[in-house]
Amino acid sequence: MTDVAKQYERDASKHLELNFGATGQLLAQIREGAPIDLFIAASEDQMDQAVKAELVDSATRVVVANNRLVLIVPASATDSPRGFTDLASPTVKRLAVGQPKIVPAGQYAMQVLKKLDLESSQKDRLVFGSSVRQVLDYVERGEVDAGIVYATDAQLAGKGKVRVVAVADERWHDPIHYVAAIVRATKQYPAAAEFVRYLRDDRAQSLLSKRGFAPPPPATQPAAR
Amino acid sequence: MSFVAPMFLSLKVALVATMLVALVGIPLAFAMARRRFPGRGVLDALLIVPLVLPPTVVGYLILIVFGAHGMIGSILHHAFGYSIVFNWHGAVVASTIVALPLLYLPAKAAFANIEREMEDLSRVMGANGLQIFWHVSLPLARRGIASGLVLAYARALGEFGATVMVMGDLPDRSTLPISIYNDYVSGELSHAAPAVIALAAISLAMVLLYNRTIRP
Repeated sequence: MTDVAKQYERDASKHLELNFGATGQLLAQIREGAPIDLFIAASEDQMDQAVKAELVDSATRVVVANNRLVLIVPASATDSPRGFTDLASPTVKRLAVGQPKIVPAGQYAMQVLKKLDLESSQKDRLVFGSSVRQVLDYVERGEVDAGIVYATDAQLAGKGKVRVVAVADERWHDPIHYVAAIVRATKQYPAAAEFVRYLRDDRAQSLLSKRGFAPPPPATQPAAR
Repeated sequence: MSFVAPMFLSLKVALVATMLVALVGIPLAFAMARRRFPGRGVLDALLIVPLVLPPTVVGYLILIVFGAHGMIGSILHHAFGYSIVFNWHGAVVASTIVALPLLYLPAKAAFANIEREMEDLSRVMGANGLQIFWHVSLPLARRGIASGLVLAYARALGEFGATVMVMGDLPDRSTLPISIYNDYVSGELSHAAPAVIALAAISLAMVLLYNRTIRP
């Protein structure tokens, strides 16, 4: 996001202020009247909260980026699974995913396991990480045979320590969408709308894809749920 | 998650760890109380230092040794496809190391306080070293050993820092202290109440037992 914002400031000669935080915290700021023009949520659910609280204009709601789940293995490992269905193989002794109670990537990973009927075979093999970063670390150190993380996180792994062997089919889990909507109280509506268009444009998307994000679905209308 | 399964796992881990502590700690305490040898001071310090080290440091060191790339871990991994990491055996190793000093210190003191005439007399009467240890020294040191074992068990039961690093967070297979922490992290602290009460009650009982064992 920081890359895109910097590029936008250069391209549009405008100033853009970024404010990162947990959803609850950001929504509280908007409610308290902080001068925020655009809200980008890390999931559809979080945007639902903002819409429900009537803090954003739901008509402007649109997906700006998409993430994928990938299966990663230690780069040095031989005999690694080559795809999600290989996880059932007895050579996989430990599979790391995010703790589903607190890590959204872990929730999506559990959806994938359920969808592929791998829940029972993985039950005694699962190790929960308290963050996606910890899951990556377990795989980097070779303490587990495989891990499931976001494509964007797999890119953050130490050089040559982790190999991406498969990308999960998007039908196996809820969409991992980053959703933007314009804040109702904004005084910069046209500028905010322009930035949303910019975010979905090729230039911004190529920057995002360098970080491992996938393009948003083609619908230019607000994403239907 | 119910606290019953974590409680049984904790009791099991603590029991196995205490047996290992006895197996390793009692002979070591006896040897250290009787023998002089080069490096004795260093070995003594190494056995005691887990008492004051942060458990996270112990956990880190265990991972260095028993991790997938560790000195012992890589051998186990390649030869048997086995690892103590992400396994309740790892919890046993962590608890054993952390609890060992609690037995070692009182046991060593108890052996040192035995009147040497008793052992000398046995030797004159023809007993060998092992017989002396088993029939004379061990019974005379039993109070110190028993109190140490009670404390070691209580400490092993509550071990968290090193255990959570070595055993990790396994679904439906966490120890009591880890289940309390998981409830806290996932914003369900109120769910931890039964586990907290169980741990507090068992620990209190162990301390009461300890007080009885040291009473002359």
